[in-house]
Amino acid sequence: MQQTERQISLKAAVIEAIAEEFRRDPETFYIGEDVGVAEGIFKQTQGLHAEFGDRRVIDTPISEAGMFGLTVGAAVAGMRPVVEIMFSDFLTLVMDQLVNHAAKIHYLSGGGFRVPLVLRTAIGVGGVLGSTHSQTLYAWPAHVPGLKLAAPSTPADAKGLMTAAIRDDNPVLYFEDRMTYNLKGPVPEGEHIVELGVADIKRKGSDVTLIAFSRMVHVALEAADALAAKGISAEVVDPRSIVPLDTETLIDSVARTGRAVVIDGGHESYGIGAEVAATVSEGAFDYLDAPVMRIGAPHNPVPCSKPLEAMMVPSADQVVAKVERMYG
Amino acid sequence: MSPEDCVDLYRTMVRIRVFEETVRRYHIAGKAPGLVHLCTGQEAVPAGFISVLRPDDYITIYHRGHGHCIAKGSSLEALLGELLHRRGGVNLGRAGEPHLCDPATNNIGSTGIVGGSVPLAAGAALAAQLRGTDQVSVSFFGDGVLNQGVMFEVLNMAAIWSLPVVFVCEDNRYGEFTESATVTAGERYQDRGAVFGIPSDTLDGMDVLAVREAAEQAVGRARRGEGPSFLVFETYRFTGHHVSDQQEYKDSEEMRAWEARDPIPNYARWLADEGHVDDVAIARIHAEIDDEVEAAAKVADSMPHPGPEDLGTHVFA
Amino acid sequence: MIDSAQALAIFESMLLIRRFEETVIDLWATVETEGHRHVYIGQEAVGATIMELLREDDLILTTHRNHGHVLARGADPGRALAEILGRADGFNKGRGGSAGLTVRAAGFLATTGQVGGGIGLGIGAAQAQKIRGRGGICVTFFGDGGLEEGIGFEAMNIAALYSQPVLLVCENNSVGVTTGRAQNEWSSSSMAAETLGDIPRALGIATEVVAGESVTDVHEAASRLIGDLREGRAPAFIEMRTRRWPGSRSFNPQLVTGVTDLDGVWDPASVTGEHADWINRYDPVIGYGRDLFRQGRISRSEIVAMNERVCRTVEAAREFALASPLPSAESGLTGTFA
Repeated sequence: MQQTERQISLKAAVIEAIAEEFRRDPETFYIGEDVGVAEGIFKQTQGLHAEFGDRRVIDTPISEAGMFGLTVGAAVAGMRPVVEIMFSDFLTLVMDQLVNHAAKIHYLSGGGFRVPLVLRTAIGVGGVLGSTHSQTLYAWPAHVPGLKLAAPSTPADAKGLMTAAIRDDNPVLYFEDRMTYNLKGPVPEGEHIVELGVADIKRKGSDVTLIAFSRMVHVALEAADALAAKGISAEVVDPRSIVPLDTETLIDSVARTGRAVVIDGGHESYGIGAEVAATVSEGAFDYLDAPVMRIGAPHNPVPCSKPLEAMMVPSADQVVAKVERMYG
Repeated sequence: MSPEDCVDLYRTMVRIRVFEETVRRYHIAGKAPGLVHLCTGQEAVPAGFISVLRPDDYITIYHRGHGHCIAKGSSLEALLGELLHRRGGVNLGRAGEPHLCDPATNNIGSTGIVGGSVPLAAGAALAAQLRGTDQVSVSFFGDGVLNQGVMFEVLNMAAIWSLPVVFVCEDNRYGEFTESATVTAGERYQDRGAVFGIPSDTLDGMDVLAVREAAEQAVGRARRGEGPSFLVFETYRFTGHHVSDQQEYKDSEEMRAWEARDPIPNYARWLADEGHVDDVAIARIHAEIDDEVEAAAKVADSMPHPGPEDLGTHVFA
Repeated sequence: MIDSAQALAIFESMLLIRRFEETVIDLWATVETEGHRHVYIGQEAVGATIMELLREDDLILTTHRNHGHVLARGADPGRALAEILGRADGFNKGRGGSAGLTVRAAGFLATTGQVGGGIGLGIGAAQAQKIRGRGGICVTFFGDGGLEEGIGFEAMNIAALYSQPVLLVCENNSVGVTTGRAQNEWSSSSMAAETLGDIPRALGIATEVVAGESVTDVHEAASRLIGDLREGRAPAFIEMRTRRWPGSRSFNPQLVTGVTDLDGVWDPASVTGEHADWINRYDPVIGYGRDLFRQGRISRSEIVAMNERVCRTVEAAREFALASPLPSAESGLTGTFA
């Protein structure tokens, strides 16, 4: 594999993965609202329509339930669609087709049909888009057997996970925190695959494990810097996939450090942070020096307000404070 | 249509009816558990419509879908095995009735959600269009689906993208126990397709030849790339919504009037009038199909149930 | 003909909306603000006229493009602007913002940014009005994209079945998000129905198409249909067609037509420049001002006085809103449950 120092944005990396897979596999297409000529509301499909045209980059009406169901049908017929649901908030509109159809068709057909699709959607708080355009709803589909979930934190992972997602034979939900779209980093040119279900240690450490998803990885890294200044060595682990979850890497890290904080951009209560905390508590109980802690968004809707919405995003300060309390 | 084809249509309808009676028997005996929805009385639609489809055409069905599976060519043994929840069933005995499908016949199946399979049919049509094949996709659904938003969304998309899909509404007048006319606004159901510029029509769903003729036109249009059609077939279920439903909400005169339109004896008379069959031939067909279904039932009933080791397989591909 | 008192009230309401929206755009350029905002320029005749026809007990559902509806209903412009700027004294304590501005005391039940979502909520409000039986109605405003969602269809089916007193006002400003909708044609690449009214008509709902720039046309249709609704003939659907305002952008409207110059009312020749055609043909404020001026129902000096009054109101609203603090961070954690 060719190594490169080329730096591109996370958004560009996702587009690159899609374009490379589309060139490789004519059975792929992209479908969603404003994704064609308009190139997406965040320019997250830039260049795709110009290269692949109307037939493979399809604008839909504002009809998420029907449009997503139709995508499921095309996948059952063997194609590999990438379907965009503009915000994860709009998963509410596709829940029936996602939960009752896409997730179950393979199982209930006795393995005869497959549903190889990628549902690409935006999560994250920022820019004051309000309570129905700011939610991080990955905990909902994670509960449903048959769905895989990925949430990249870096441009390279974004490319590799998208490539893996498109090639996967299952419905894969791919969550991008829109506040990371312009984050730049090195991204390999050409084929780059990050297998679903493989975590990545973003920073080695020995005193505490910070397990963080998506944009929260950067919050964890910032916290790790601050902790280092206080003499605490934090390891930052990015699961990268929510389902399947790389429990082995997580438990192994916590067994080494003896402490863990899970940082999740979704609501803390009933969230994936709880799932991860329970998993590492069960798996590394004998090695724990403190209860596994969680940090997530408070239990209220995301307000459409600049000062208030800032409260909805976990901060490095919160992480540092939590870790310090574990030593208290 | 050749005389053989004409008789084949009859065979398909009889096969469906005998199959349904067998399912009822097994259900009452406790061997086909859950809610069982029979299409007795409605056989003309699946038999007539699917007779014009190719094996590689797609269909989606709904909870009243045994007839479509049979008409599309599913193995009777595997189909009945599924309804008896056996490992040898068409879906390994895990779909039961609500989620029946048959990958071998491009039958994407039913999903247990009212209207849920309609977008899947349109999606298969989109796949055919993108691949440039001339496959057609047919969505069979009941009148209750007419009021689902997803139906409306998909009709719009099928129209704007000119998808090779036929929407077939089997209007048996009742959505579960509620008369559909009382919950479905507007003058004619077909207007819900027509509003998007989709060729739409309402036809006699008890007349297998009328169904077949309408299917030829609609499927032909789709195969030629001329876009979707929306057809409402007026039909009637002679049985309850499910086997245990006593149908107290139905008017007995209405039931008698529809039973007089039973598609099977009426079509038998037509076949006789045309000189394609005589009484002896009709009796032979019934006897053959009784034997065929009985033999399939024996096989199905001898299949083992799935075990705990089957529970967790095929969660992911 | 609309009686003069009502006509002048409608015109003043339209002018208030216009000056208010001009201020909103200006504030976005000059004060630190974030998020989307959708303005009502070019559509003032619709909201101002319909609100003038409503009773106090009528209920209203609106969308992300709500400023005009809220102002025309008589809500305090200061608190409305404070909300739009996310300030603590806003109608929703600064947590609803531009797209979520809701004024419960003025009969607004919900403002929803979910496309088509209000149509579903509106039939609930209409059912409540029907059960109460006091002649109150519900008016549901939504954009042309609202009919692409299945919820609108499901809700209209129910509205028709239950004969609900709901006026469905589809404000077709010829833009639905940004998808391929041709600027000067009514049909769209994402809607197969020839006209949007065909859909409710297929469900047996009375439908009308009205030139939304014309107060006279809006008033004629809306007053007739609202009268029908109060007498139990229901529901009704109006497609209000307005020409896309040249400054319209998905998230970031630009005042490309400039601050509205009322000289154009009495001196059409003064209207020049790139957007003169839109102003002359489609600007509802200029258009209705010209009607009233021609009919001798308002004089130049009265227009000038009205404009000064409106501008003072908006200036006061601006001062109020800017003086209002942002909400305290902790305040965001309250009110999740009733």
